[in-house]
Amino acid sequence: MSNPFLKLDAASRRQFMLKTAKSALGVSVLSHFDALQAASEPAIKSGKAKAVIALYMGGGMTHIDTWDPKTGETKGFKDPLKTNADGIQLGGYMTKMAKQADKISIIRSMTSKNGAHGPGNYLMHTGYDERGTIIHPTLGSWAQHHLGRSHKTLPSSVTVGTGNTNAGFFPPSLAPIPISNPDGGLQNAKATVDDSTFRNRVTLMGELDGGFREKFNVAPVKAYSEFYDETMKLLTSADLEAFDLTKESADTQKLYGTGFGRSCMLARRLVQHGVRYVEVRMGGWDMHNDVDGSMAKNGGAMDAGFAALLEDLQKTGLLASTMVVMFSEFGRTPRINENKGRDHFPKVFSTVFAGGGVKGGYVYGSSDADGKEPTDKPVTPQDFIATVGAGLGLPIEKVVFSPSGRPFTVGDKGKAVSDIFA
Amino acid sequence: MKPNQAALATLCCVLLGVSAVHAEDANTPRLWTDVKGRQLEASFMMLTGEIITLQTKDGIPHNLPLASLSAADQALAKTLKPAEGMPSVSSAAAATPSGKIDLLVAQGIMRANAIQAKDNKPAIKQNPLASDEQFVRRIYLDVTGRIPNYEETTAFLNSRSQTKRAELIDKLLASDGYTSHMYNYFADMLRIKDQVDNRLLKGLPYIKWLKDSLAENKGWDKMTYELMTANGKLWNNGAAGYLLRDAGMPLDNLSNTLSVFIGTDVACSQCHDHPFADWTQVQFYEMASFFGATTTKLNGRDFKGKDPSKKLLAEIDHLMEEQGVDTKAIKQKNRTISDLLKANEVVVHDVGENRMKLPHDYKYKDHAPNDPIAPKFITWSKADEKVPAYKQDLSSPEALRVSFAKWMTDKSNPRFAMTIANRLWARAMGVGVVPTLTNLDDPAKSANPELIQHLANEMVRLNFNMKEFQRVIFNSQSYQREATTYEVAMGEPYYFQGPMLRRMSAEQAWDSYMTLVLGDQVDKVKNTQSDVYGRSIDMDLENSTVQTLASKLTAMQNLGNIAKKQLGKGGLAAAGKKMQDDDEEEMEGGTVLQYGNMKLMRASELEQPSPAGHFLRDFGQSDRLITDGSAKDGSVPQVLVMMNGQAQKMMTEKDSLMFRNMAKAKSPSDKIESIYLSIVNRRPTIREKSILTKEVSAHGENAYSNIIWALINTREFTFIQ
Repeated sequence: MSNPFLKLDAASRRQFMLKTAKSALGVSVLSHFDALQAASEPAIKSGKAKAVIALYMGGGMTHIDTWDPKTGETKGFKDPLKTNADGIQLGGYMTKMAKQADKISIIRSMTSKNGAHGPGNYLMHTGYDERGTIIHPTLGSWAQHHLGRSHKTLPSSVTVGTGNTNAGFFPPSLAPIPISNPDGGLQNAKATVDDSTFRNRVTLMGELDGGFREKFNVAPVKAYSEFYDETMKLLTSADLEAFDLTKESADTQKLYGTGFGRSCMLARRLVQHGVRYVEVRMGGWDMHNDVDGSMAKNGGAMDAGFAALLEDLQKTGLLASTMVVMFSEFGRTPRINENKGRDHFPKVFSTVFAGGGVKGGYVYGSSDADGKEPTDKPVTPQDFIATVGAGLGLPIEKVVFSPSGRPFTVGDKGKAVSDIFA
Repeated sequence: MKPNQAALATLCCVLLGVSAVHAEDANTPRLWTDVKGRQLEASFMMLTGEIITLQTKDGIPHNLPLASLSAADQALAKTLKPAEGMPSVSSAAAATPSGKIDLLVAQGIMRANAIQAKDNKPAIKQNPLASDEQFVRRIYLDVTGRIPNYEETTAFLNSRSQTKRAELIDKLLASDGYTSHMYNYFADMLRIKDQVDNRLLKGLPYIKWLKDSLAENKGWDKMTYELMTANGKLWNNGAAGYLLRDAGMPLDNLSNTLSVFIGTDVACSQCHDHPFADWTQVQFYEMASFFGATTTKLNGRDFKGKDPSKKLLAEIDHLMEEQGVDTKAIKQKNRTISDLLKANEVVVHDVGENRMKLPHDYKYKDHAPNDPIAPKFITWSKADEKVPAYKQDLSSPEALRVSFAKWMTDKSNPRFAMTIANRLWARAMGVGVVPTLTNLDDPAKSANPELIQHLANEMVRLNFNMKEFQRVIFNSQSYQREATTYEVAMGEPYYFQGPMLRRMSAEQAWDSYMTLVLGDQVDKVKNTQSDVYGRSIDMDLENSTVQTLASKLTAMQNLGNIAKKQLGKGGLAAAGKKMQDDDEEEMEGGTVLQYGNMKLMRASELEQPSPAGHFLRDFGQSDRLITDGSAKDGSVPQVLVMMNGQAQKMMTEKDSLMFRNMAKAKSPSDKIESIYLSIVNRRPTIREKSILTKEVSAHGENAYSNIIWALINTREFTFIQ
């Protein structure tokens, strides 16, 4: 307690240091100092993505039946498939993705310590272990924090399907906007009265609230008024069509098909209109029973949706600037259990990357012949988050302080797998 | 009185030059002489009872006993008028607990102004007293968590009683709404959820314990003691829900305990020495050691014979196989059965051995990794260890939790009373004396150290009676002033010139909507499932047979039906009326009306927390993952809900309660007034009336829906002034 500096909370201490530095060196000197520091560190090779579509396979995606097929006794029910990429084979259910393999990088040496759904999901989304004392942000919020908004009216991040809709320790304005049903569009975007009544009501609101807003001309009130303005802008802008799948051509509708495919189509549409980070959730991967039947159904839908998305992104010219990522909370046991299923398996599993400067037809790391252990270049959940962050060009090493004064980075100091970037 | 005398003595040491003594004006400094003949140059600020406040040249106010001054100066003091800007706290008022608070707030502002003057900044002025209209809305929201309805608003505004504010405070503190609103606050602080760990283990008994404790106004020390020391199954002792909230994560649980109950944020030292404060990782583990003998699950050692759950499961498998039930059905049923058994194995208790050890990656030199670690209380100053709280028996592992609870809730614990006092102050004023509620750090460095110390002393004097404590705050002028209209910059101290302008919490907003549609029925609908849940699930594992298990399964399945039965059939038109359907017997807890898929009842009676996508969550209700996780910021989805969601539609329907209230009024002008009194709890201004009269002539009956929509969408509605 003798050092008064230690008595300051973290925020005041930083402010103090910044103030001291500024007054001592002058701001220009300081920024020069920043630049020097940046130059002395080896640059992180990053992707060229302006947007990310993250496909989250909830329940624990079996790696052997999808991205890391085996031929031995853990093979499962189908033989591996040859693909359009030299030397890369995929699980037997990935018939459509086999024709898109030249667009993807697979990390086959993912490894995590968490084999429970909730904590594993949290870890793969934030790079941090779940704690009772703080909520860590997910990548869409990190991106908005570091890069600002991606569009003047549209949200910067969207979650399609049930999933995380909080901003962690960032303010709620950085939270992903939830879309529960891709065909339902933005929730509550449609007024319950006709257009002229709606406009009349909004005008009336402004007139009746004038006195209050004048009296309390303070940040929290002004912020609210800005949200109203922003919402009105969104409701009256043509950008709202970003949420409307009926605007897609019959051919495109056919390409994506139903279910998961429609969520992928919405993701593409949102990215095309300027949303930076879209997460699409697909459930049904907790295949403790009958992995063959479940893969035929669920795996088939994933295969079709993912392949359609890559094909469409290429067709629309968005693939170069859009990184698609597929991930899950963990893999599944190589051994088939007595119910013909596979159980939770965090020790080794796979993630997939495509577009936005990611190499095509590339495999990073490997698991052993049975798919039981990573044999080469293990990649942790922290590394995974750092990789996606680097793909988007986020300053992943930059320390950000939570309001409680604790230091955090994108992916908790994980190392980005820059080998996958071309 | 000792510190004051010491202060005077110190001041007198600084011998001051002779200055003018002639102008006997409050603001002019003069020489004051004490009984011992010592002199001090200072200006008179005010006299409150037997305490005189003098301000020295450095701007610092000093409170001295009047009796310590010479007889002549005593007589003079009684003739002087208080300095300008000083509160008119009469001697009688200052002698009251609320007045004492006002005095300390005023002196805090005086001290701040001395610094402001030095920095050439304008003086901080106390806000004017709030009008009755402002007061009635604020006090209903602050005490009962909802706006007053039309009748409640007009009854207060029309009352001629001189003491109507105090009377209303008393009435509201005694109402059901008080419990509901306090529950929401603590549910946010304690992260209360319906679902505890196991699928069939429900938070209902914990929720009931909390509501009952608040309703009977149990002391905060007693409540905390019960939370820390609860034993047994959740449905036999709801307070066990506290430790079960973080079952399997005792370190996180401790982190939360320290920050929530004694304002000490040590989350960092869970993993390493705290970088910015004095806490070491060892100190954290010494505290965790008080819970080192506590466990939340029964295991083999706790049973006399064989593990009864395993025995029952084996019997069931055997029976099912005998009857040739197909395997899939067995699996399905088995999961519910095993969840039921597991829920009955969740029992908070202590064992004879303290198993707390340092972590395997402990990296400092003072201890080795995995070293066992003995319990030791943290201190904030050297003097702490001498206070009674620290005299606890630490010899028996099984009694450690009790020792911890006794230490924590003792009146002499250096942080316990102050933490809850600061919280309740923040709840009323919008910001704490120490703004970081979970980290009091050094209270002496807060905006008003005397005030925070006094509030802590008040909490002790009132025996941790939270209702009495709040009565004192609500009756103070400091609370009853207008909300501050200018911005206090982030990190700047706030001196309580009045309450801060606050946005309603999610629960206050929802409950206010409920008031608008349900009227005085709003407090009558309750969730009463806790008891039947406890009866349905409870099993004495060691004396259970397959038959007992089967009957429990049936009872558990029936639970859902009971909840469904409480849902009423009537639409909005039924709201605010007593249900008179003869076919239906009056349900326990009242009948729950619905609109769309919304259950029309208080937030405190709904799911905990409400599911994502509910109005409450869009409005910032905590997901109950972290302490005080609720938010008061806006967002686009929230504004969309306000503009186009079900709740606004419900409010603008012609069969809603507001329209029925309005029907009693004859002229458009009276109707408009009725809407205003219902929604923003004030009469419209002339300007507003003229705007709205035009609206009515343009749109006829539909205009009223438009006006309602416009008003519930104003910032005036969402913010509490």
